[in-house]
Amino acid sequence: MMMSNNKYKIMIVEDEANIRSFIKVNLETSGYQVICAKNCALGMMMYASYRPDLIILDLGLPDQDGLNLIQEVRETDTVPVIVLSARSNEKDKVEALDLGANDYITKPFGTEELLARIRVVLRSHRHSKENENTPGGKFQLQDLLIDYDKRQVFVGKDEIDLTQIEYNIMAFLSFHTGKVLTYAAIIRTVWGYSDYGSVKKLQVNMKNIRKKMGVTPGEKRYIINELGVGYRMLEDDEP
Amino acid sequence: MKNYHRQRDILFSVIVFFSTFAINLLLQRLFTTQTLVPMIFVFGVFLISLKTHGYCYGIVSAIVSVFAVNFAFTYPYYAFDFFVEESILSAVIMLIVAVSTSTLNIRIRDQELLRVREQEKLRAESEKERMRGNLLRAISHDLRTPLTSIYGASSTLISKYDALPKEQQLKLLGEIQEDSEWLIRMVENLLSVTRIDNARVEVVKTSTVLDELIDSVLMKFAKKHPNQKVITKMPDDFEDIPMDSILIEQVLLNLLENAVFHAKNMTELVLSVSIAEDLAIFEVTDNGCGIPEEALKKIFVGSYKRAATPVDGTRSNMGIGLSVCAAIVKAHGSEISAENRTGGGAVFRFSLKKR
Repeated sequence: MMMSNNKYKIMIVEDEANIRSFIKVNLETSGYQVICAKNCALGMMMYASYRPDLIILDLGLPDQDGLNLIQEVRETDTVPVIVLSARSNEKDKVEALDLGANDYITKPFGTEELLARIRVVLRSHRHSKENENTPGGKFQLQDLLIDYDKRQVFVGKDEIDLTQIEYNIMAFLSFHTGKVLTYAAIIRTVWGYSDYGSVKKLQVNMKNIRKKMGVTPGEKRYIINELGVGYRMLEDDEP
Repeated sequence: MKNYHRQRDILFSVIVFFSTFAINLLLQRLFTTQTLVPMIFVFGVFLISLKTHGYCYGIVSAIVSVFAVNFAFTYPYYAFDFFVEESILSAVIMLIVAVSTSTLNIRIRDQELLRVREQEKLRAESEKERMRGNLLRAISHDLRTPLTSIYGASSTLISKYDALPKEQQLKLLGEIQEDSEWLIRMVENLLSVTRIDNARVEVVKTSTVLDELIDSVLMKFAKKHPNQKVITKMPDDFEDIPMDSILIEQVLLNLLENAVFHAKNMTELVLSVSIAEDLAIFEVTDNGCGIPEEALKKIFVGSYKRAATPVDGTRSNMGIGLSVCAAIVKAHGSEISAENRTGGGAVFRFSLKKR
């Protein structure tokens, strides 16, 4: 057992009491400290006074749009945010991610899935903090290895022959491992500008990357494709 | 249609005009008075304006009638003399009759047209409403069962908590979980149907990469059925197809799950996509027990009735899942079909346009 003052502090912002309560029970039994807010205004207040390590945020709150909270928090802080979203709304997801949310999880969800996402997001957040001052070095994920200094990518012992653009995409995804990156975010970083055909350009490049690494559809390796939203590089220990 | 109208209108106008002319000649012979002449011409103009389309026939016949009255029925007979005030006045009156009758007539016709259109819209609406209604009936029936069981099991757990042995409690909890999972599937299907917007029959299509669609489907399927292997066959090239990806994903998931639940003794489940000219053809094939001939005909109809509870006691989700598939594919402007394979098993097939 961890010491109680060492626990990660997680804030749940959700208006449904039943959902709040089952998430709270689950998180507490998994060793997290939990604070709850039932609307956006309370959430902002509690965020200011408790400074949680992670925020689980429902977008459909009674007083205001949950997106406001992301925006406000992001002005000063990089605290990870996981958004709870309704299934059929990619636009909301993309918007939340572009505002700075780290991940989203679709209702209804299982507790195992939620806990896994929390672990991934917390871990990658810690990584990105550690790596902030050292852009060089290496990235390892399963048998995938990216050597940032030499700009080389290996699967096992084989070097994968990527184009400039393909390498840049891989590098960008690996900098933000565990986080869903929207098409727009990747395009902005890799090409610097976006036009009518840029999403397709990105998708063609992704198809080539996956092909070169020998990943077939349905295989959960290296990169997760979030249909209609973007891509996410897996965390090391993700199930 | 337009031409036909015009010919009929011209013919009608000419006949009416000459009839009035003839009647006037006749009356002139029978009675010596001429007071009836303008009235009969006005009546003729009125009839023409009433029965023809647009203003022009009425106006032309009014003018011609004025000429006729002037020419044949006022002194000097069989010669024009326009300096009779009567004649100008009657011209004005006839024109007013012609124009106002035509205006009225056009207004009535417009309203008629509007009503016909409204009726057609209503009919289409009621057809859609009927489909929706069938689906809803089927669904609400199927929602009640798991809800009853969840409610029952949880109430039992609360009231008999201390009396029940731990295994019993776990069993009840397991049932609650299982039924909720089933409800989730059902609600996902329902959401898909409401996503097909009321006002527009067309869905919002965005260009979707085939690989990513199949990847996403397989991921979601593997999460729910980790032990069922799916063999995929698809083109190697980059293909993007316009579609509502969430809905098509739902169709493919439903078809795969349908095979898992209903294709008894299945050992091979195949999801294949092939490209033929401007079509992408999606197929889900199994080598299970196939579909009974009598069920095959109405397998996609929302009013599906469970013929008999499946022998193994599992709940049937098939009717709704498949009718949702049919609705989604239809909203994409295509058809879904099901048939039995000669070697055993069933195949479900639909296609999407690539452009």
